[in-house]
Amino acid sequence: MAKPPLTLKSPPGSRNKRLFIAGMLLVLLLIPFLRFVIDGFNYWLHMFLYIFMYIAMASSWNIIGGYTGYTSLGHNFFSATGAYFSGVLLVYFKISPFLTAPFAGLLALVLGLVFGLISLRTRGPAFIISTIALVLLVKISFDNWDYIGGANGLSLPLLDLDVSLVKIPYYYYMLFTAIAAVYTAYRIRHSKFGLGLRAISQDESKAEVAGIPTNTYKILAFAISGLYVGIAGAIWGYYSTYLQPKTLMAILVAAQLVLMTVLGGKGTVAGPVVGAIVFIAAEEYFVSALGSSELNIAAMGLLLAVVLLFFPEGIVGSLKSRGRLPHILDWD
Amino acid sequence: MTQAVQLLIIGISLGGVYALMASGLTLIFGVMRIVNIAHAALMITAAYASYWAFRLYHIDPIVSILISMPTMFVLGMLIYKLFFQRIIDSPRIGELTVLLTFALALILEGILGYFYTNIYRSTNPSYATRAILFDPFYLPQGQFYATLMSLVLIALLWAFLQYTKTGYSIRATMQNRTAAQVVGVNVNRVSMIAFSIGTALAGASGSMMTFLFTFYPGKHWEWVAILLSLIVLGGMGSLLGALVGSIMLAIASAYVSFRLGPTWSPITFFLALFLILLFRPQGLFGHKAEF
Repeated sequence: MAKPPLTLKSPPGSRNKRLFIAGMLLVLLLIPFLRFVIDGFNYWLHMFLYIFMYIAMASSWNIIGGYTGYTSLGHNFFSATGAYFSGVLLVYFKISPFLTAPFAGLLALVLGLVFGLISLRTRGPAFIISTIALVLLVKISFDNWDYIGGANGLSLPLLDLDVSLVKIPYYYYMLFTAIAAVYTAYRIRHSKFGLGLRAISQDESKAEVAGIPTNTYKILAFAISGLYVGIAGAIWGYYSTYLQPKTLMAILVAAQLVLMTVLGGKGTVAGPVVGAIVFIAAEEYFVSALGSSELNIAAMGLLLAVVLLFFPEGIVGSLKSRGRLPHILDWD
Repeated sequence: MTQAVQLLIIGISLGGVYALMASGLTLIFGVMRIVNIAHAALMITAAYASYWAFRLYHIDPIVSILISMPTMFVLGMLIYKLFFQRIIDSPRIGELTVLLTFALALILEGILGYFYTNIYRSTNPSYATRAILFDPFYLPQGQFYATLMSLVLIALLWAFLQYTKTGYSIRATMQNRTAAQVVGVNVNRVSMIAFSIGTALAGASGSMMTFLFTFYPGKHWEWVAILLSLIVLGGMGSLLGALVGSIMLAIASAYVSFRLGPTWSPITFFLALFLILLFRPQGLFGHKAEF
């Protein structure tokens, strides 16, 4: 298949699309007020929050994995360090993660720069391997670091609010993180920087010859892709009230990020959003249909294999190349 | 001094098994240019087969290699047909197959976890806990047998690659896929055979793993990172590199384990991986062009 030429131009923005996005955001902002109407509301808040977290993380992953074409299987390194950074500050210094989460993001950004300097010297499979090794390395270190709880983990106090209200601050924080992440991904896609990244993913040597500072771009892309993952991790850690290296740095978390983005459409702005929603809906279905057993892991693997083999462009990408993508979902 | 030599002995006697694990992986990478993330998951699959053969029919784990290798060879052929045949010529094969084998690993882990749960397992043939003593040193008997068996298998693999026609085609494909195709090598068939041999070697090492290490379905993530560090150190696609890299890192991890405690010993592999990527990305015996 011939690749479309790389351009900065976006398709003519239609009023409908803007209205759709604005309307969707308004609905999401108002959803917490539904608690006056519906029972069992915390479940829905939890699901939305969970989806927002993955939208933020998958959109960020897309910057390095989708635009730049460097698959990272270690992005939960960023969420775990973010969670631990804010968690330790909360436990030992009583500073709310709502204040420290942006700094957790900055920490992830800096760590991304450092790690990127080392591992982005390699290309292709070697890079992927180095990201897996990073997560395992940090997991062992955290397992043996007693100050932050070691392998037993660290318990965090929850916000002191009524049960029916307690999820709402997290909801809004995660919603804004997701919006910021998607907006950043959108802005990058339509910048000269993003154009350079996409050139790298198509042919790195040619991009370099064309005068793109590929190394700087790659490292920056990797670092920026850590930013919102760190923030989302910090909030999620606070929300789940318990941090443990084993769960935070399970390779499955990284796998989910990749799977969502690939499922939705790598390299598109709407892809990770669609992918995260579809994936989590499917996961909820599997859990309720098959029970929360190990078969979920197998189902996830099977889904990933089928998508890779038959729809490598993902939902958004496949629909787009067939001209079937609803206009309101074409955010590129 | 005695201590140092003792650690050297332990290191080498584990290094052979690591080398067997790594040789299958490096063979697959050399021929197909894919990093098989599912390699360790395949090892664990074979480990379960040997585990049940031992528990139910009292078949010695080393003897059960005779069963696990052919079974895993066939499984490898199946996996190749199902997963790789249609994409082997895609230009993005490297990246695509990492994700695809990642998916395969998840599938295997999920199925094994569903049937056998996450209980830690291991077999205990009589030699697993014994040691061969020659004052002042000792050699764990299980490790010794396993490494001996591994070296035999690696030698057989080497002879196969060196002296048979198929082996010759495999080496040609490793050197230059396009050129091999031009001179009439059926690279698709060669890839399938190489992948199946790699899987069979994973099967053999999985059988021996049962009495050397405890295992459970999710354990393969730890293993695959270790294996990858071994072949990155040696140079991906180089058999000699896999052997040398494995023995070097096995000795290093034995020292780390002695100095800092066994929980830290896996860190040797991951740190080594970073240092190699930083200073010599092509590894000890690799070619610069590979990455």
